[in-house]
Amino acid sequence: MKKKVLATLLATAMVAGCLAGCGNSGNDTASTPATDDAAPADDAAPATDDAAPADDAAPAADEAVEYGSGTIKVWVAENVVEFTQKQAAAFMEANPDMAGYEVSVEPVGEGDAAGNMITDVEGGADIFGFAQDQITRLVSAGAVCPIVGDNANFVTSENDAGAANAATVGGTIYAYPMTSDNGYFLYYDSSVITDPTSLEKIVEDCEAAGKNFYFEINSGWYQPAFFFATGCTLTYDTDDAGNFTKCNIDYASDKGLVAMKEIIELKASSSFQNGSSVDNGTNIAAIVDGTWDSGPAQAAFGDNYACAKLPSFEGSDGNTYQLSGFGGFKLLGIKPQEDAGKLAVCHALAQYLTSADVQLSRYTEAGWGPSNVTAQQDPAVQADVALSALAEQLVNTIPQGNYPGDYWTLATSLGDDVITGTLSTSSSDEELMTALQNFQDTCISYAQ
Amino acid sequence: MGKEANSGSTANKQNPVGKFFGNLGNDFKEIGLTFVEGDWKTKVSFLIMGFGPIMRKQFVRGLALLAVEVLFILYLVGFGWNYLKDIGTLGTVARVMNDNGTYSYNDNSFLILLYGILTIVLIFVFLLVWRVNVRVNRNEEKLLAAGKKLATNGQDLHSLLDSNFDKTLMALPFTGVMVFTALPIVFMICIAFTDYDANHQPPTNLFTWVGLENFKNMLSFGTSGIGSTFLTVLGWTLIWAFFATFLTYFCGMGVAIMINKKGIKFKKLWRTILVVTIAVPQFVSLLYVYKMFANDGLINTYLMKWGWISSYIPFWSNPTLAKVLIIIINLWIGIPYTMLITTGLLMNIPEDLYESARIDGATGFQMFRSITLPYMLFVTGPFLLTQYTGNLNNFNVIYLLTQGGPQSMALSNKAGYTDLLVTWLYKMTVNDTNYRMAAVLGIMVFVVTAVISLAVYGILPSVKDEEGFQ
Amino acid sequence: MTTGSMKTKRAIGNTITYIVLIVISIIWLFPFVCMFLQSFRSMNEGGGGMVDYLLPKQFSLDSYAFLFSEESKFVRWYGNTLVIAFFVAILSTMMVLCVSYALSRMRFKGRTVLMRFWLILGMFPGFLSMICLYFLLKQFGLTQEGAIPGLILIGVASSGMGYYVTKGYFDTIPKALDEAARIDGASRARVFFTMILPMSKPIIIYALLTAFMNPWCDYVFASYVAFGYSDSYNVAVAMQRWVWTNDYQGYFTRFCAGGMLIAVPITILFMCLQKYYVEGVTGGAVKG
Repeated sequence: MKKKVLATLLATAMVAGCLAGCGNSGNDTASTPATDDAAPADDAAPATDDAAPADDAAPAADEAVEYGSGTIKVWVAENVVEFTQKQAAAFMEANPDMAGYEVSVEPVGEGDAAGNMITDVEGGADIFGFAQDQITRLVSAGAVCPIVGDNANFVTSENDAGAANAATVGGTIYAYPMTSDNGYFLYYDSSVITDPTSLEKIVEDCEAAGKNFYFEINSGWYQPAFFFATGCTLTYDTDDAGNFTKCNIDYASDKGLVAMKEIIELKASSSFQNGSSVDNGTNIAAIVDGTWDSGPAQAAFGDNYACAKLPSFEGSDGNTYQLSGFGGFKLLGIKPQEDAGKLAVCHALAQYLTSADVQLSRYTEAGWGPSNVTAQQDPAVQADVALSALAEQLVNTIPQGNYPGDYWTLATSLGDDVITGTLSTSSSDEELMTALQNFQDTCISYAQ
Repeated sequence: MGKEANSGSTANKQNPVGKFFGNLGNDFKEIGLTFVEGDWKTKVSFLIMGFGPIMRKQFVRGLALLAVEVLFILYLVGFGWNYLKDIGTLGTVARVMNDNGTYSYNDNSFLILLYGILTIVLIFVFLLVWRVNVRVNRNEEKLLAAGKKLATNGQDLHSLLDSNFDKTLMALPFTGVMVFTALPIVFMICIAFTDYDANHQPPTNLFTWVGLENFKNMLSFGTSGIGSTFLTVLGWTLIWAFFATFLTYFCGMGVAIMINKKGIKFKKLWRTILVVTIAVPQFVSLLYVYKMFANDGLINTYLMKWGWISSYIPFWSNPTLAKVLIIIINLWIGIPYTMLITTGLLMNIPEDLYESARIDGATGFQMFRSITLPYMLFVTGPFLLTQYTGNLNNFNVIYLLTQGGPQSMALSNKAGYTDLLVTWLYKMTVNDTNYRMAAVLGIMVFVVTAVISLAVYGILPSVKDEEGFQ
Repeated sequence: MTTGSMKTKRAIGNTITYIVLIVISIIWLFPFVCMFLQSFRSMNEGGGGMVDYLLPKQFSLDSYAFLFSEESKFVRWYGNTLVIAFFVAILSTMMVLCVSYALSRMRFKGRTVLMRFWLILGMFPGFLSMICLYFLLKQFGLTQEGAIPGLILIGVASSGMGYYVTKGYFDTIPKALDEAARIDGASRARVFFTMILPMSKPIIIYALLTAFMNPWCDYVFASYVAFGYSDSYNVAVAMQRWVWTNDYQGYFTRFCAGGMLIAVPITILFMCLQKYYVEGVTGGAVKG
């Protein structure tokens, strides 16, 4: 019996050994903040007091700055990974004083990036691309660092007003705009669709040809095209910390009812399919989609490839409404940094990656529409079919502000209720109104 | 360790509880006696563990005990205490921004909780080892007093391959389970009592204890609570597990009987064809099948081309259809398993039972009902139970097919009509980083699984005569 | 009672059974055949996306070529998965064998308590502790760049809990054999290594096979641990993104091709070892 002891001991010693091992690595993380605690208080803060404006504003102003070395992790969407890698290399070549940093670019999509940054800021990328709807989430989780001073001026002066606005939460800028093309319009097959300006005609043509019309009505992004068309509003006010303070919504109204009925009517068509990706669709005649799909759309439609702004529809009240929607932006955010040198390099690199030239070549290589005003004036950009359709459509849209994460879920639920037939053409006005009222109340409940 | 003893004792009612405390009392008595009656070596061992054995030339034991003490003290002073002291508040100083735009990270609630729990566990482990240390001394003294020889170091080591071989075998697996399963589970149970979510995400922000608030929220049925959604999801989880288990079971048995039938050739070929769905990783096969049944997928377009239907069948977007289809597709995955299992067992049923039934004029179905089925149910009872609990948590089939959708305004927190408790839990964790509610949900899953297991286990005929939980 | 009518009856019964079996076989193989066909569709046709017909109009190896080209890290991901599966299979089988032998043959203090405790632990859903495991691994530096050893560690660490089937098998080996050897002076360890293990070949192969197949389907935890570091992905993480994320346009045929590359070797391996697998699941089912 007593001999059992030994093995137990060995086992515990092993556990203890393991823990001591992890204790060491843990100690590092535990002690760093402890020393940091003291550092900013006495020596770092005064030292940076005078250096600060120079150091994060204009890297060129102070040649003697020690940037240090390390790795800068960048997360961007799959299709621009190589492009970004190339541009980062060019940046390092142009700024040898910052070349102590190695840039590693990883394909992490705009959706995943924000989620990952929130899950583990420390493990996340230093610079990451995301769609603007994620910005409040990132700000309130403290996963993106504010942009101030000259850097902020860069954002406002170089980009179109909508883009700069999209990067702002509660008066502070948090990201560098990268594209101004996060909107949607109509891609269609000109051999099938005879009149792309009328929703009824499009549906009719599709039905006649036995082909599909894709519109992602269960997405909080595409769905407002109907509601905004009839004059409804849905916006949120935020405070400086990224909290939602007020919701401005009037879906539960006659206007909302007309939009709701139109969605239901569209869904009732045999040609309707819920979706917004050319490659995930089959037998497509028309699709409501964004510029990122222009390549696949050209491949799918071939010579009959055509683009147009969204069509208008005749509502149940007899009036004609032009489909609206969101105009959105893709942004580049910087993770809150512990090291001043690295922070400066990150800002400089992010500025470079969103500068006019790089935006223009990103357009050339990957088709991403620029947010930079100079790049927007480029003749090639102006001549792009998809981008001009988008530009036409953008006139009818509202710039996408900030929405709580729950809104997107809620919109999916509303859309799914239409798709599953819970709300259908046989639903009475009262039933539809109850659903809208429910939607509106829930939206309001997200703001405190 | 303490948890283990408690759960064991509450399950077996009063008597063991009394026994447990009785044992504890005896332990204290023995410790006292050891100290009073022991020689100076033993007395020193109370402070410096292993001192006695070392002095008695049992170096292996002595040094092992000493090493544990030294490591423990180093751990506690150098590491554990820093976290343990904050476990009441889970940290007080959040991240601060410096003047130059950089940030300083301070208290990390996550690590405080994690290492705090770890330290508490290790303190218990240390006390146990200390207790062992006392007993080693007492036993050695007794042996010496009786004039016997102590085991040599070599004998001690050799016993690890013989009489104590179980310790050698279990050391690593036990440690692994404790650190990578038990510790995280205890940690997540604690999370259920905190406000750890997207807005309280360490190291940026702190989270803290909130008591039973999350449980109240899960079980509240007002407009803001998610109680009704929880019940909907729970209901479908139970229904799904029932159909997934029993339909698969009977269909699988049917297929096995067909293949086993006299006069059927190529038995091996049929089996091999079916087994493909086990061999191919589910993320490949199920993702493909999901695409096949999409509104614009292969099945719908072919049915439409052939003119069998005029508009697509909303396989995935209609909740009822989706549920039925999931159960059917699960048959595709599950039948081969049951087929394999039952094939061997069916052959074990004595042929003369059927012979005599046939002479009595029984039909095939009658024979199945009165001979095959009772036998199979008896033998595979425990298997059915594990299948059922396994299906309650069958993440892959649901998530790879529908991801829990379609959603509805009637359900809150991203839940969809085909969500199981686990897929919902997964969405809360990964998409919403709403760990507080996910932890509550995890505990609920445990409760459901445990209740069903206990209830069914008691009535299973085939386990009654087995020893314990084997 | 005439043998003639019996014969015709049986013949009819058999014919029906054959028809049912053939229909079942078609259903079971249909998705894989579709996938196989689609994997050979040319990129010029539908741009690699979904199409609404079965037979490709233009056969080509485009998708396979892409997977093996510089453009894609598929080979690396495949290698990662292979490495993980290999080590998890070997190490976790060793763990399971140790636990099973100890629990089957030895009666030590706390044995039943331990078995009950593990049973209770097993009732908690695994996803619950995912975030905790992630941060635990991160402390050891086993996420992102170190995700492969991290995943092996996680795959192996708790594998001892899955001892049921193997222990059930050990229980069927007569204890008298052990006793005889022990009387002859063999130690427990000797008995374990020289007697029990050689007699347990089927169950060892079963344990190896099941442990080897698990990592191929792990996309949930693996994507967590890789945390955006694409060199550490396994095939499941990478390929489910092709299907679910809109970033990956035209990856459908590539998904099919990748799926074939995974499915075919594993299926062949499985078919070869099917006998042992059957023995394992049957034993496990009966003993519970």
